[in-house]
Amino acid sequence: MGTKIAQAAGRRKGLTLTDVLVTVVLSLVLGVVYHVWAAVSDVAGLLFVQSNELVYGMWFAASTLAFLLIRKPGVALIAEIAAAHLEIAFGSAYGVQLLLYSVVQGLAAELVFAGFRYKNGSAWVAGLAGVAAAAASLLADIYYGYVAEYATWVIVLKYSLRAISSFVIAGYLMYGLAKLLERAGVAQSLRPVERKEYDALDR
Amino acid sequence: MNGFFAPARRTALHRANPALKLTLFVGLFILTMLTHTIDASFYLACVFLLLLFAASGYPLWKTALLVSGFALAFASASLTMILFGKGSEIWWTFGPIAISKESFYRGLHLGFRSIAFGCQGLLFVLTTTSTGLFYALMQRFKLGPKYAYSFMASIRLLPMTVEELRVRRDALAVRGGGGFTPFGALLRLPERYALPLLAQSIRRAQRTAAAMEVKRFDARSRRTYYYSSPVTAADAAAWLLLAAAAAAAFWLAGTLPVFGLGDMRTGL
Amino acid sequence: MRWIAETKRPKPEEAAGSALSGPSVAEAVGEASEIRRIEATAAAESALHAGEEAKRLEVPAETGERRQPKLHVRTAEPAERTTHDAAAEVAGLRLKFPGVPDLLFRDLSLSIRQGEKVLLLGPSGCGKSTLLQVLGGVIPRVTEVPLKADRLKVPDSAGMVFQDPDTQFCMPYVDEELAFVLENLAVPREDMRARIEAALLEVGLHLPDIHMPIGSLSQGMKQRLALASVLLLEPDTLLLDEPSALLDPEGRRAIWAAVRRVSEQRTVIVVEHRIDEVLDWMDRVIVFRGDGSVLADGPAAEVFRLYRAELREYGIWYPGAWEDALAVGRGDAARPEAAGAPELPAGAAASAASCPASAAPHGTSENAAVSEKPHPANRASKQPPVARGAFSEPLLRLENFRVLRGGRAVCAVDRAAVMPGDLIALTGPNGAGKSSLLLGLMGLLPRQGECRFGTDDPAGRREERQAAAKHAAFVFQNPEFQFVTDRVLDEVAFTLRGEAAAAAQAGEDSGRRGAAARLLARWSPREKRRRARLAAQAEPEIARRAADCLARFGLGGYEDRHPYLLSLGQKRRLSVASSVVTNKPLLLLDEPTFGQDARNAFAMLRLCDELRAAGHAILMITHEPEIAELLATQVWQIEDGRLKSASPTGRSRSDGIRLREEATAR
Repeated sequence: MGTKIAQAAGRRKGLTLTDVLVTVVLSLVLGVVYHVWAAVSDVAGLLFVQSNELVYGMWFAASTLAFLLIRKPGVALIAEIAAAHLEIAFGSAYGVQLLLYSVVQGLAAELVFAGFRYKNGSAWVAGLAGVAAAAASLLADIYYGYVAEYATWVIVLKYSLRAISSFVIAGYLMYGLAKLLERAGVAQSLRPVERKEYDALDR
Repeated sequence: MNGFFAPARRTALHRANPALKLTLFVGLFILTMLTHTIDASFYLACVFLLLLFAASGYPLWKTALLVSGFALAFASASLTMILFGKGSEIWWTFGPIAISKESFYRGLHLGFRSIAFGCQGLLFVLTTTSTGLFYALMQRFKLGPKYAYSFMASIRLLPMTVEELRVRRDALAVRGGGGFTPFGALLRLPERYALPLLAQSIRRAQRTAAAMEVKRFDARSRRTYYYSSPVTAADAAAWLLLAAAAAAAFWLAGTLPVFGLGDMRTGL
Repeated sequence: MRWIAETKRPKPEEAAGSALSGPSVAEAVGEASEIRRIEATAAAESALHAGEEAKRLEVPAETGERRQPKLHVRTAEPAERTTHDAAAEVAGLRLKFPGVPDLLFRDLSLSIRQGEKVLLLGPSGCGKSTLLQVLGGVIPRVTEVPLKADRLKVPDSAGMVFQDPDTQFCMPYVDEELAFVLENLAVPREDMRARIEAALLEVGLHLPDIHMPIGSLSQGMKQRLALASVLLLEPDTLLLDEPSALLDPEGRRAIWAAVRRVSEQRTVIVVEHRIDEVLDWMDRVIVFRGDGSVLADGPAAEVFRLYRAELREYGIWYPGAWEDALAVGRGDAARPEAAGAPELPAGAAASAASCPASAAPHGTSENAAVSEKPHPANRASKQPPVARGAFSEPLLRLENFRVLRGGRAVCAVDRAAVMPGDLIALTGPNGAGKSSLLLGLMGLLPRQGECRFGTDDPAGRREERQAAAKHAAFVFQNPEFQFVTDRVLDEVAFTLRGEAAAAAQAGEDSGRRGAAARLLARWSPREKRRRARLAAQAEPEIARRAADCLARFGLGGYEDRHPYLLSLGQKRRLSVASSVVTNKPLLLLDEPTFGQDARNAFAMLRLCDELRAAGHAILMITHEPEIAELLATQVWQIEDGRLKSASPTGRSRSDGIRLREEATAR
């Protein structure tokens, strides 16, 4: 018999085309779901002052969901940009700034995941990434929307609601969604194969 | 996209190199961002609104339809500031609401700016095709083909997702409430839509990526391009057009001020 | 009881293009074992909607069955033969999907010569598509799957066409997509156009303009475009993974004609369930068992002669599959293997056998009353089919009916009626308005004219929808979109709970006048408690009915599985089960057999026929000519947004089940 060919190291290290394409498509779907969600947002907006911030976290959902599913560096940033790209491509009134916002927000989320060395995929870390993205959006808002000139209580209210919403939606809700996808058997094929699966070939 | 997003005529902006045009528009964005007087933002909004109608190459009604979305952008940018902004010269108070002169004009300024941003963004979108943009970014700015083709492929997959959204809505209507209360059903709404749509799309993306790699797509190897991405006279024309528009706005703000107020950040 | 099918059946030559060879009538297999064996072998490999996961979970179920030990592997050539002329070769291949305990392949050896035309056959889930991907270099280069082999030789340049026409392209336009391939090969820009045009010509795609949106092509044209794009790679080997599974008959013919034209000098390896179009030009057929081992390997004619029974069991659409499926109670029911298949709980089969009529509506007018009460009246499982005489009123009557989309009529029906016992094939070209008609009937699209369900004549969009929901069940083409829970049993229970809640609501509302009073009452705490109590009481009954229904649809034993992890055939059956569990008299189906292997397709059709024989009416969109020709009682032909003809086929509504019957086998 010839030499044994073990095809273990077939996988490329960084992001593969599949990773990137899945990330982008994922964000687009969330973008579409967001339009269903927009109705909820409008209703939520009627509750009280700034109450529409309660659903703001949905904007950061793409990056956390992408990370929770693919667990590789870079996907959080790509997901944010892809979500913005969708909005822009369909003639959103918020054009170029969405792109810049998405870069800032995606980077913030990415930093949190990197802080846990891309190993931790818990709801808590995802929530933290959402909050980081919300904080980044505050920075952008200060330049873009003069929010520092709001009455102080408005600033506090607006951004604490946004942070809470980000933590819940981008963190726990997306974690739940990732779990649903896992149970439906969709998520496994997105992750790198473990060593023991190769060892099992010899049994 | 399909039908609607197809220009009726082509202007210099359509012919310009999309990658260079993107840098022009990012420049415009920064310029607008650094505009802190209400007169300048007002004229920027006006000038780019006119330019949008004139140079987007779309029929009037389509442009108007898209522009109507700006009303919301204007409101969302300005209202919070008008109602809750800081200010010393109070005009009117009601509960937590306090409209001051400063907050009012600052709100208007933000509204104008958001219209200017919106016009610039829309002008770019309406004069650029995705395919053209990504081909240009790959050739001019060395964007990784992996990313460029993922974005282009995803745009192809998008209409399928939208169609599936419709099917899912119908299917949920057919399945009925299942004994849930209306509120219970509302809470489940995101999950109910997201799971099947995401599951389908993820599988589709995986299959598409596999098909692309089978066609010997390799992000690391050298490739040629079906569409070239030349720099032409149209780029100069686009540059001049945009620069002239911005200059006109600032010139008008200087010579024909409507509000005559100072820097919006530091009092008026 | 026996149903003599010959009198109703058209002769094979006029029946279908598929009846190429007039095969001897094979032994009829009892339906009970049929359904059970579907469970045993059905799997999600038809990678259409099912993820890899489902495939992996299915596989173990079938490894146990080796019923005919007398048939040995006939390896045409020994695995150790010389390799210098092999186009592709594996030796000692071991492959395993992550998360699955068993190996998919254990020491598989196979060699394919240059220029050979090979057909891989086997039950769903046997790994033939996976093997194709290994031979094509997709696994493990693109898709990571753990594997090892003593020897693995893949073709120098391979082109692969996949099953799904919609997921093979990354660009929006035909020319851009083909250019994508040329870009990958670093072909100079100037040369691209000529090569694109040549490739399109080669596969017989004559487009007015090569810059044409791919979305505007038919599915069949898309597959030919996929073929054109792999031809640009100038491959020496073509790998085809069920390229015609998702096409209509016309598209199937065109893609195979194109493949044949370009395969002259090439090695061709095909995985396909429908073998009519490939059979006569394949040099070699390899049949896999469910466990991934090779059952047979040899010239096509010989394999088909010796392994006909296996082909049927594996769900292959061989020529004559329809004739065999329709061979109703032809006497030789006591086929030995009918007694086999011990993998499934006996209860599933028993109830499948004993209660074909359990979903019978009890006359249209009282149906609503019946379905509101979840008690003995609905335990119809032991009742005989309802007397035919009761069915004189149409279940659905349409007059000057129009379905609108964006204010435009997309499907018009001047006059038509659906009677109990009808199985109506809704045929016509794509985009003619078939789906719109069904959506309109369900009240999901706006409509005009008369659409009367039984005696109900609803007015107003909301009422239309409610009336439709009361009388008709609708099964979408992709079953996943209809699933709302994460457990198979809950899928069916969901429908029952909805029905129970609606019944409670209706009972409550009828006692009150005025919308405001009703609304108030609905939200009162007392009312909430009452409803919660009612719901809790109904729960055991619901669980029992749901379990019964699953058993009847061959899904017994899968109660706790996630619906997404079922095989494609099982998903389809689950979506039908969850639709018909509440005894709605009318069932609307959108291409229920589309993309299925023969076994699952016949199981689905048999379920429909059972329902029909029990007095339900079925209205199904289909592109399969055999359904219209061999099963339907009426054929509705839709063209250009209009019902062109609604013609009876001569088959009686009161016929018994026409597909193979298990009653004789027991």
